Amino acid sequence: MDVVDARPILAPFVSFLCAGLVFAVGRSIFWRRFFTFLAAFIKMGLVLSMLPGTLRGVVYVYDFVEFTPGIGIAFRADAYGMFFALVSSTLWLFTTIYAIGYMQGDRDRVRFFGFFALCVSTTVGVAFAENLLTFFLFYETLTICTYPLVVHAETPEALRAGRIYLTYTLIGGGFALVGAVMVNAVAGTLTLSQPGILSGDLGTPTLAIIFTCLTIGFGVKAGIMPLHGWLPIAMVAPTPVSALLHAVAVVKVGAFGVTRVIYNVFGVELLGVLGFTVPLAFLAAFTIVASSTIALTQDHLKRRLAYSTISQLSYIVLGAALLTPLAATAAIIHVANQAFAKITMFFVVGAIARTTGKKHVSEIDGIAARMPISMAAFTIAALSFVGVPLTAGFITKWYLALGALEADAWWFVLVLIVSALLNAGYFFPIVHRAYFRPAKEPWPTLEEGRRFETAKTLLFPIVICAAYVLLLGVTAEVPGMPFSIAQVAVESFFAGGGVVP
Amino acid sequence: MNAGWAEALPWTIVLPMVGAVLTPAVAARRPRLAGTWAWGVLLVASALASGLVYQLATTGPFSYDVGGWAQPYGIELRFDHFSAWVLPLLLLFVVIVPFSWRYLDHVMPDERRPAFYALLLLNAGGMIGFCVTGDFFNLFVFTEVVSLSSYALVAVGGRGLAAFAALKYLFIGAVSSLLMLFATAQLFALTGSLNMADVAGRLADVGGGPAVMVAFAAYAVSFMVKTAMFPVHVWLPDAHAIAPSPVSAVLSGMVVKIGIIGMLRVYQVFFAADVLELGAFNQTLVWFGAISIVMGAFFAIFQDDIKLMLAYSTISNIGYIVLGLGLASPYAVIGASVHVFNHALIKATLFLAAGAIIHQTGLRTLSDLRGIARRMPQTSAAMAVGAVSIVGLPPTAGFVCKWYIALGAFESGQAPFGFALVFGALFIFIYYVRMLNAFYFQEPVHDVVIEANEAPWSMRAPVIVLATLCLVLGVLGGIPLSFVEPAVLELLPFWGN
Amino acid sequence: MSPSVGVVVSWWPGIAVALPLVGVAVSAATGWSERRRASVLAGLTFGSLLVALGLIREVLAGRMPEVHLLHMTAQLWMVLRVDAAGALYGATVAALGLLALTYAFGYVQPGPRRARFFAFFMACLACTLGVAYAGNLLTFLVFYEAFSVLTYALVVHEQTPAAIAAGTKYIAYILVGGSLVLAGVLLTFFLAGDLAFVGGGFLPVDAPRGQLLTAFWCFVVGFGVKAALVPLHGWVPDAHPAAPAPFSAVLSGVMVAAGAFGIMRVVFDVVGVGLFTSLGVAPWLTAIAAVTILVGALLALGQEDLKRRLAYSTISQMGYLTLAVSLAGSGVMAGGLVHLVHHAFMKGTLFFCAGLWIHVTGARRLGELRGVGARMPLTTAAFTLAALGMIGVPPLSGFVSKWWLGVGMLEIGAGAALAVLLAGALLAAAYLLPVVYAAYFAPTRPGAATGAGAASRAGGATPTGDPASRGAREAPWTMLGPTLAAAALTLAFGLGSHLRGFPLQLAERAVLAWFGGG
Repeated sequence: MDVVDARPILAPFVSFLCAGLVFAVGRSIFWRRFFTFLAAFIKMGLVLSMLPGTLRGVVYVYDFVEFTPGIGIAFRADAYGMFFALVSSTLWLFTTIYAIGYMQGDRDRVRFFGFFALCVSTTVGVAFAENLLTFFLFYETLTICTYPLVVHAETPEALRAGRIYLTYTLIGGGFALVGAVMVNAVAGTLTLSQPGILSGDLGTPTLAIIFTCLTIGFGVKAGIMPLHGWLPIAMVAPTPVSALLHAVAVVKVGAFGVTRVIYNVFGVELLGVLGFTVPLAFLAAFTIVASSTIALTQDHLKRRLAYSTISQLSYIVLGAALLTPLAATAAIIHVANQAFAKITMFFVVGAIARTTGKKHVSEIDGIAARMPISMAAFTIAALSFVGVPLTAGFITKWYLALGALEADAWWFVLVLIVSALLNAGYFFPIVHRAYFRPAKEPWPTLEEGRRFETAKTLLFPIVICAAYVLLLGVTAEVPGMPFSIAQVAVESFFAGGGVVP
Repeated sequence: MNAGWAEALPWTIVLPMVGAVLTPAVAARRPRLAGTWAWGVLLVASALASGLVYQLATTGPFSYDVGGWAQPYGIELRFDHFSAWVLPLLLLFVVIVPFSWRYLDHVMPDERRPAFYALLLLNAGGMIGFCVTGDFFNLFVFTEVVSLSSYALVAVGGRGLAAFAALKYLFIGAVSSLLMLFATAQLFALTGSLNMADVAGRLADVGGGPAVMVAFAAYAVSFMVKTAMFPVHVWLPDAHAIAPSPVSAVLSGMVVKIGIIGMLRVYQVFFAADVLELGAFNQTLVWFGAISIVMGAFFAIFQDDIKLMLAYSTISNIGYIVLGLGLASPYAVIGASVHVFNHALIKATLFLAAGAIIHQTGLRTLSDLRGIARRMPQTSAAMAVGAVSIVGLPPTAGFVCKWYIALGAFESGQAPFGFALVFGALFIFIYYVRMLNAFYFQEPVHDVVIEANEAPWSMRAPVIVLATLCLVLGVLGGIPLSFVEPAVLELLPFWGN
Repeated sequence: MSPSVGVVVSWWPGIAVALPLVGVAVSAATGWSERRRASVLAGLTFGSLLVALGLIREVLAGRMPEVHLLHMTAQLWMVLRVDAAGALYGATVAALGLLALTYAFGYVQPGPRRARFFAFFMACLACTLGVAYAGNLLTFLVFYEAFSVLTYALVVHEQTPAAIAAGTKYIAYILVGGSLVLAGVLLTFFLAGDLAFVGGGFLPVDAPRGQLLTAFWCFVVGFGVKAALVPLHGWVPDAHPAAPAPFSAVLSGVMVAAGAFGIMRVVFDVVGVGLFTSLGVAPWLTAIAAVTILVGALLALGQEDLKRRLAYSTISQMGYLTLAVSLAGSGVMAGGLVHLVHHAFMKGTLFFCAGLWIHVTGARRLGELRGVGARMPLTTAAFTLAALGMIGVPPLSGFVSKWWLGVGMLEIGAGAALAVLLAGALLAAAYLLPVVYAAYFAPTRPGAATGAGAASRAGGATPTGDPASRGAREAPWTMLGPTLAAAALTLAFGLGSHLRGFPLQLAERAVLAWFGGG
């Protein structure tokens, strides 16, 4: 049931407006914070206010402008979009709190917070895009808006990272554009509201080109190997950026795009016949294992997390590529699961760097004694990635594996298991060092007047996100929690037939 | 109201021309008054043009017979969907002129101002006339008005090299003009008429044949030279880079489009007669368009001078338009036609922003301008928006056109050109990223830059207005589309391919 | 087949699991005196034990207490449901846990790591109880994984390089095993959907054989890591000596058993006896079990480090349980279950004693134990009793379980298995009696003993010199008491094996559910 409602457009617009205000009056710390928080709350309120409707099956739509008939900018808050919007707007709030603490005294904070808000605006825009054009519009805008954040430090290293980032993402964007345009040319429509808009009559070569273009285009941001090169390098960005953008918004937009392509552009039925997703699934499986293996060798904390992100994103891609309802559920739910767990990790790593200046795995021996709450949060997130039951990661792993079995692809289960072990292999040593190794030199003591192990603005988001990782693991069935939204989305994807559970 | 605004059609042309003639008189005592005067004239002209567009939107294309002479013997002015281009053109002039007020301070002595603004008004009037004329001879005349005033504009503001650049421009322009004159004569010889509608009718009787083909080809080559497409582009970069920035904006954004609009006019006539087989021609255009895109981008990469780089990117963008025309599918042609305007807007943004920076610092190479964004944040932001837009990244005006041209490429089954278009654009961005990096993310090396101030409001405001428009038209891209769509759809059945 | 007969909703299983969890918070609470903390922890564990015993009563009364813990998704839910086998195992866990906890009060050194030890200890205890009472595979998996991971902190407690190396080895083994278990659970879910344990199993008989086999071997290998089946036993001999003695006792007594308990659950409550037999995997499992028993015992012979020797003994003894499962006979299975309980207390005693020797004299190696019997008579007596039980000397508990195992084997005509059983008993004598001999009868060599003892003492131990050179000096009662209590239980289970509520009765009840009337 479609209902015309302005909220799908207002949600991205709020942070867009916020960006404008930050640029305009952001020199005053008070106003900068005031507008950022105000926008974050309003946005969350808008998205949350649509949630009951989404769970009832209502889809809010808003046609903004039409260029020519069938081509235009339109918004549509379907279940999957809602899911993604909810995740990103929630995390924006926490990341903002964190960023305020983290960027204290840093340079160019106006620019930072302005582009930060823009990025979130575009992320929600991607979530609510009704058609590929709107999707691409926001997708590319995100690419550009992220650039100033990546090069924020303005060191030669940061500039290099920015260049590589842009090269990858813009070339990817080019492929996505070509794919989207081809879809428009052959299908005559761009809508993402159907379970598939392409017809099999078009012939395999055409469809294969379209699929390849779109997958490459969105796969770059999703970090599918061998398109992942930019991600570890982009870690030179300040930690809040790495956290929200390179663990959540930017990369998830890519994964979101891949899933949209699979479920809404091609549709499970058609892909089931064409079989294009089989190589994609293999590629994703390869990525999962290979990047985890690389992560084992990384000593720099953020780089290790980056490779872990690459690996985790391919869970989503793999889930989508398996074309079964359970795997789809896993793919969608993992968007939230990975986001919260990974953002927790980034927050902790950032807090460690800000508090003690340590950035490498080999330097954090015994840090748990100095920063117990942070390391506890990190441990929870690590457990989630390994897929220990009662954490968010387990739900993903469970449904993904069942989906693989459903798709008669048992060896993906094997991949998942190997990946879980590799995850343990690169996260547990961090936990181990933090808790069980004696400190090499005494950790700096708390500053006078500090009650907590680090700034409150850093600690608060860490605790909330870690708690949410646990909550996601145990309350999946509660209506309104991500899982329930994911189920509504999966129903719509498989409404047109395909494999029914 | 019916047809009421049609009466304003000749006045829209005459006004800038007369204004141009009167400029020296008006500004005789106070040369600086010339700028204001020109602005006033253009404001009135654009008000008239708004009325014309309103008329077009309500009643469709309309004609005006100068002096009341009946066709085909009188001079006919015709306002159709392609003519609607005069409104944005005038509006761009309205924005550019205030910018030039302060800009010219450093460029030319005050005494030369009246001449400058007179030329500018002449240029504008010529373009308006070009867009609305209904016969081939006047088409040629107005082309010459535009061209000659352009050469003069290049020469008037510059020192040293400007004269040389203008001379190069003049020579090549003369070749183009000769070809055009030849084509006009050929058509007259074939049909005995110069009125476009009439020629179309008579051409149908004449039929096809090499003679018609020669006329068409002469027009095509002539216009392609005017647009500065790749192999015949050599005149453009120097002229555009050396001219004062407001002039660069006019030349790069609008004057080169004469070629495109002329091409569309010629199409209208020849298609109505339905005497040409255009398959091979279109294919040629497609190839040249694609090559222009790539070569323009390629040359731009090696420039350190920001204005030269902008000039080369014009070649690329003209490539888009030509590619779109050659693809000859509805979406591609719509995209190309809209890009005629959008590119003018974007290029004006870029040239004016660059001009403001050059004006404030006196520097014009990337390596000198490092870190300028700290001192001139608004201008630099406009520059950034323009850069993003010219590459065709969303959500900017450039994106809409890129989308439609690419869509047309796939629609007509020429997918490789779609790829060329998309990735050629990215190629351009390599250079712009360097520019943005230098402006925003590198430490200043020049004291001038460290102490630079934001440009005065008379320069800043136009730049900001244009940059905002770049963004707005990315989101509301449907407005220009709705104007060209009917015209394109009318032409398309004859386009061939 | 209606397992729900007698199912009653009851919060008691949940409470049994929750009480030790409260203890985690208590351990972490700052500002409490050690004494107060200790008494609260002991009280909580004692409460848990009482609940566990109460649950035995319930089960014997024919009821099956059940509580739904959590519904994560429509497919994933956690339920605790106590059947006879679970009640038996749960009570064992709680009892041994209480003893070990009390022992640990004396054994674990004060310091920052003490609170950590107790927090993790209590958490492990809670999760192991959860394993015992788990009502479906997911719940089992959750608690199983949880205590497996939590155990890590206890294995590396000493934080010596050796302990950390052992911990790494442990966690690597356990994670691989846990993953395989997860794979098995997934496959089971895929094949059958329903996850609740049912006596007689719930896997569809007509499912593809390949998938059934895959699921089965995933489970066996996965649980086999924990159950220390050869060749998956690598972590055991390293982890046990590294861990503090009270935890070694629990690790060996009930946690290694959790693996065997898992195999048992899978074979009888998931796969079902019928399908298990028809799949044709039984002989393979038997062979593995036999190899485990013999190899474990043989390797134990060669160990000089006492705790290592005991660790190998655990490998060997847990093989009995797997052997019983693989034979799938009602009698032999009853014996196996009983063995699980009996072994827990016997091995607990042995590790307690080993810990006491380390604590008092610093002696870790066999050679250093010469003459310790004279100095620590009570400890050595307890050790001797448990060792004899382990060998199977009547009337100790070890004899009862071996007897029922043997009788069951004869019932189904498994002569070869019986031979293995006897060989294992002989070998047990061979690796345990020398310890007793050394403690009581070996001539002392003062100089060597002192040096070795001092060199090898753990961080916590405070040796007071040569074991034999001074008068009798036992460890404090907090440690000695639990040791003697465990030894006494060894005796009591042997003498009172037929009493109502004792392991044997419960085991028979459990076997009834699995084999029907058989």
